[in-house]
Amino acid sequence: MAYQKFEDPTPPLPFRQIEKMMPLYPALVLMGFLLLLISFFIGLMVLAPANLAFFAEAKEIRESAAVGSSFVNANVTRHVFETWVPQFKFFGLGLMLMGITMALGTIAGKLRLMGKVIASKIPAEQRPPTPAIPGRVRLFQLAALLGIMILLAVLIIGLVLAAGIVPAYWNHAIAGQLNPAAPGSVLLNQAGSVFSFPFWLNPLRLAGMAFLFTGITIALTVIIGTLNMQAKMLAEFARRAIKPAP
Amino acid sequence: MNEKAPPSSSWPLKIFPLFSMLGWILVSLALVLGVFFLAPNAAQYFGENAKAARDAAENGSFLLRQLQILSATPRWLEPLAFTGIASFMIGIALEFSTIPRLLVQRGNVMARTFPLIVQAERS
Repeated sequence: MAYQKFEDPTPPLPFRQIEKMMPLYPALVLMGFLLLLISFFIGLMVLAPANLAFFAEAKEIRESAAVGSSFVNANVTRHVFETWVPQFKFFGLGLMLMGITMALGTIAGKLRLMGKVIASKIPAEQRPPTPAIPGRVRLFQLAALLGIMILLAVLIIGLVLAAGIVPAYWNHAIAGQLNPAAPGSVLLNQAGSVFSFPFWLNPLRLAGMAFLFTGITIALTVIIGTLNMQAKMLAEFARRAIKPAP
Repeated sequence: MNEKAPPSSSWPLKIFPLFSMLGWILVSLALVLGVFFLAPNAAQYFGENAKAARDAAENGSFLLRQLQILSATPRWLEPLAFTGIASFMIGIALEFSTIPRLLVQRGNVMARTFPLIVQAERS
């Protein structure tokens, strides 16, 4: 690369990996978009048919259906997919937001590089010193990483629930087994988990999104700060060049 | 072409942190209420009471009060959390709004400085 000599020294881990990933932002955005597209097709081809199959009969018939019947199977399918697909969608959105953060980080990096290239054309005695990399760069990288990690954790929790407790609970006859479950029984304990997890998992994924938006916010402050600083440095150089010091 | 008023002092840059902070407050509120209030209530309501007991709950009973809370709270809490996300977006939009002005300022400074850099490099 022509400007290789102006590059900053390689940062320590984990920032080294993050900086290597930053130019890959189009792949992140594309991957996020693909996950959302997959979610749409799952909704169209799995969730909608499962709901259509379950609600095809009167309440009395579908609730009295035995384990292994098409009604119970449809009920299991719709609950299992509704457990992990929303988390999958938010992970896709998170990847896209991370892509935006990385794109902004790349812009900030290129602005710094171009600033150095321009400064190199100024004679050494008049050249302003190169400012240190702002601490906020590491901050926005960490915020984005934390945000996507939270969304990944939420997706994994969703998958674990969808593979374990959710089908274990719903794979029962509603009228014959689920409704008569007594306090202290396994089924009622499972019901407690199955009906309570959305109350903490959904806000947790929004917290992941909040970290990603914070990453974008901080990345923008880096760009604005760099543009401001470079303009000030150039203006200062011009002032000195026009009125040389006595 | 105003170089005297740098964009760093413009109003969007002064107020965008307030929107980011508001975003964090609203999202955190939803998370705290969800984790420490709604989820334990839901686990208790559905996990410790048979359906017959839940269905037979009478006016003024604790079970019916729990059901009211579990049904009503998410109706406003979720939009509030999304308002928090929207608040982050407003902050980001405000930051973006300063960039065109910054670029104009940068262009003006470059136009003035470029001949001086060329001159300094030649001498």
